[in-house]
Amino acid sequence: MENGKLKNQQQPGVFRRGRVWKVVAIFLILAAALYWQPLYSAGPVQGYDSLRLLTEALYEISQKFVYQKSEDEMMDGALRGMMNSLDPDSSFLSPLEYKDLRDGKKGQVAEAGVELIFKDHLLTVASALDNGPAYRTGLRQGDHILKVNGHLVRNLTGQEAARRFQGPPNTAIKLQVIRNGVVKPLDFTVTLEPLTGSSVNSQMVGDSLGYIRIGYFNDATHRDLASAIKALQRQPTPLRGVVLDLRNNARGTLEQGVRSASVWLGDKQIISTKGRIPETTQAYQGKVQDLAWKSPVPVVVLIDPGTARAAEVMAAALKDQAGAVLLGEKSLGLCGLNRLMPLPDGSALIMTVAQCYTVQGHKIQGKGLEPDIPGKKLTAPVATSKDTPKPPSPDQDPWVIQAVEILKSGKPPKLAHKGDS
Amino acid sequence: MRKIRKYWFLGSLAIIMAVLLCRYLPFTVEAQTETPLWPGAEAGAQALKGPALTLLTPTTDAKLRVFAQALALVEEQYAEPKPVKDLVYGAIQGVVSTLDPHSSFMNPEDFRELQIETKGKFSGIGIEITMKDRILTVVSPIEGTPAYQAGLMAGDQIVKINGQTTKNMSLTEAVKMIRGPKNSKVTLTINREGFTQPRDFSIVREIIPIRSIKARILDGGIGYIRLSTFQDQTDSDLRAMLKKMQQRLSPFKGLVLDLRNDPGGLLDQAVRVADEFLSSGLIVYTEGRNPQQSMRFYARAGHKLESASVPLVVLINEGSASASEIVAGALKDQKRAVIMGTKSFGKGSVQTIIPLEDGSALRLTTALYYTPSGQVINEKGIIPDILVEEKQPPPGKTLQNLRDEAMAKHMKKEGLTDKPWDRPITTAELDQDLPLKRAVEVLRTWPPKKLAQQPKG
Repeated sequence: MENGKLKNQQQPGVFRRGRVWKVVAIFLILAAALYWQPLYSAGPVQGYDSLRLLTEALYEISQKFVYQKSEDEMMDGALRGMMNSLDPDSSFLSPLEYKDLRDGKKGQVAEAGVELIFKDHLLTVASALDNGPAYRTGLRQGDHILKVNGHLVRNLTGQEAARRFQGPPNTAIKLQVIRNGVVKPLDFTVTLEPLTGSSVNSQMVGDSLGYIRIGYFNDATHRDLASAIKALQRQPTPLRGVVLDLRNNARGTLEQGVRSASVWLGDKQIISTKGRIPETTQAYQGKVQDLAWKSPVPVVVLIDPGTARAAEVMAAALKDQAGAVLLGEKSLGLCGLNRLMPLPDGSALIMTVAQCYTVQGHKIQGKGLEPDIPGKKLTAPVATSKDTPKPPSPDQDPWVIQAVEILKSGKPPKLAHKGDS
Repeated sequence: MRKIRKYWFLGSLAIIMAVLLCRYLPFTVEAQTETPLWPGAEAGAQALKGPALTLLTPTTDAKLRVFAQALALVEEQYAEPKPVKDLVYGAIQGVVSTLDPHSSFMNPEDFRELQIETKGKFSGIGIEITMKDRILTVVSPIEGTPAYQAGLMAGDQIVKINGQTTKNMSLTEAVKMIRGPKNSKVTLTINREGFTQPRDFSIVREIIPIRSIKARILDGGIGYIRLSTFQDQTDSDLRAMLKKMQQRLSPFKGLVLDLRNDPGGLLDQAVRVADEFLSSGLIVYTEGRNPQQSMRFYARAGHKLESASVPLVVLINEGSASASEIVAGALKDQKRAVIMGTKSFGKGSVQTIIPLEDGSALRLTTALYYTPSGQVINEKGIIPDILVEEKQPPPGKTLQNLRDEAMAKHMKKEGLTDKPWDRPITTAELDQDLPLKRAVEVLRTWPPKKLAQQPKG
């Protein structure tokens, strides 16, 4: 009876609380559903299925493959294969490779001067540094490397391959290369050299136009670029425009690209990144004190399939924030933030955790930047031997000439852009 | 009433939360590495069939845990969500590439493609196509096929397939587009020398058997059979051709079996082809780590041979691989044929296709081939009884030039096997092919003296 009384007294309260509960509970359920939704659809159940597939494959190999295989090697292969399948900048370091990376191998002062990526299961030259050892022997953007010192290249990641192209100065590396349009593989011998000189070169083309070449990006590039711009501004005739050459330039971090763009743009927004870890989503802005231009000049930026990473950051920012015209061919589309993640067995993952978006919201990774004006088709035939022809000097380079014409026509770049498309 | 509502509500809430938690819990455990990953989780263990896990060693188990952790990291932190399945396919691809160059992984789509190819039949229109100077080009329309009847010609450039430009299309993509269900239609836009503008050809698809056999004859009762690959019907085609030759050439005084540049194909076809020439004895055997992979293949005793005791010369070169080498090895060791040409490729490993449960498959090297005398074929190749080098390229010409020329001739229907089989090979044609010429000489002066003097291998 007492009990009943108590209940009766509390009933309204319970009722009210029930309502609140309902609301809270519905909210909770919704939140939970939303929160777990990705897990629910692509999570444990499917995950187990897929892992089961891997174990099934490992089991079949351990039982049936004609030679006994080291399990460590196979599992490292699995990790490497998974990371390779993501994007050219994601990779795996075996315990030994990771240790080398941490120790910083001694004497690795010389290099071949190439940026390498994995593309369609082939180790591919993303760019060959201007006048670097690889470039001088004839290696070009787009070449596929088949063998290094007689060994077939299989399942290497870009980073790991890059380390094979570093070492003590004067080390000779033999390469076998497949080139599109050439039936037979080409043989090259590249001798490693320390990287010297500035990454920025500039000159006048005609009497009122500047030409700036950035061959690659490093931590000094923004300073070198600033001095180049200042030198151009000191010319007796006022500058009517600049051609910025970012072709064949796949070396440089996002930060280096931002810093160099900031030389052009001051404190404007340059690029933003989006990822699934909250702190990887952010916008990058330049610094006002970095700005080197006294007054803005029209600019045409040259891009090609060898333009990637820092160079893409800079090209995109100049297009969106300085009205630059992009001329040439579609860029590579490689722009993201990588993070190193050690694993408990001493190995490590290098993973792209965020991807770049231009100020206008265009994703660069995997898509590249489309030129506003396509570069004139180069009629030169594919170089079938390693005697790759030397590149023309800027004033004879067809795309530079094309860019100069645009700048000389005096049309504001934006108009030129509209007129073309 | 209210009480019921309340409990009903709380109950269902609890059930929902429980379900969600069940889904979530094994996952968090997985990410933390402490517990053994999939064997531990009930859901996973239930789904696991067979001995897969129990036979893996502790090292693998530890390594698998690391892998699972890496997989979880990628699933949670990679810049954008990726299907787990693709990640695992990437991983298997990675494992396989630590094996040998002949082992590979096929995702379900690749595997289906492969099944179509080795069956030797597909719904198509009957053309061989290639990329020539980056333009999709018809190598040859196969006689009697829809393409042939529609008037496609060797050298035709395919500009569009069903209105879609072939620029930037890969060969595989093009083949996929040309193939399709039987009796359906495909339209090719063809550019040909002499056309003022590209013309459309509408062609109805049919099942096209791929023929791997081509033949000619020579004066003096000698036959010439070239195998370009080993496929489903190779043995029956061979038998049929031998029968025709038997009737056309009487007496049948010799046969050249040309296996040059034949990259091989199906193992059972190699055995059947060798069997066509052998009345008994071992043809080939295989040995692997797994006893199940050890097999011995014998000629069927007492079956009727179309070629009975016809003198036989087999031509091989560095392009003869796998099934070709098995046939050459068996006929050499059993002294049934004289092997001429140059050392063969040396691809003597058995690949077994192991379908995985989701429709993908592994192609694994599971055993090595040995000729009847116990010679391993892999990396060693078959050494010819009589070495005959192919024509040395004249100064200033590379082997590639020669091949290009041969291709050009073939495109103009001037190749040896582009003419009807029963038209005798002329002396001029024979002069173009030194190893074949030598082979014919050997057959005409049978038995070969040189061979008798050779020490037994």
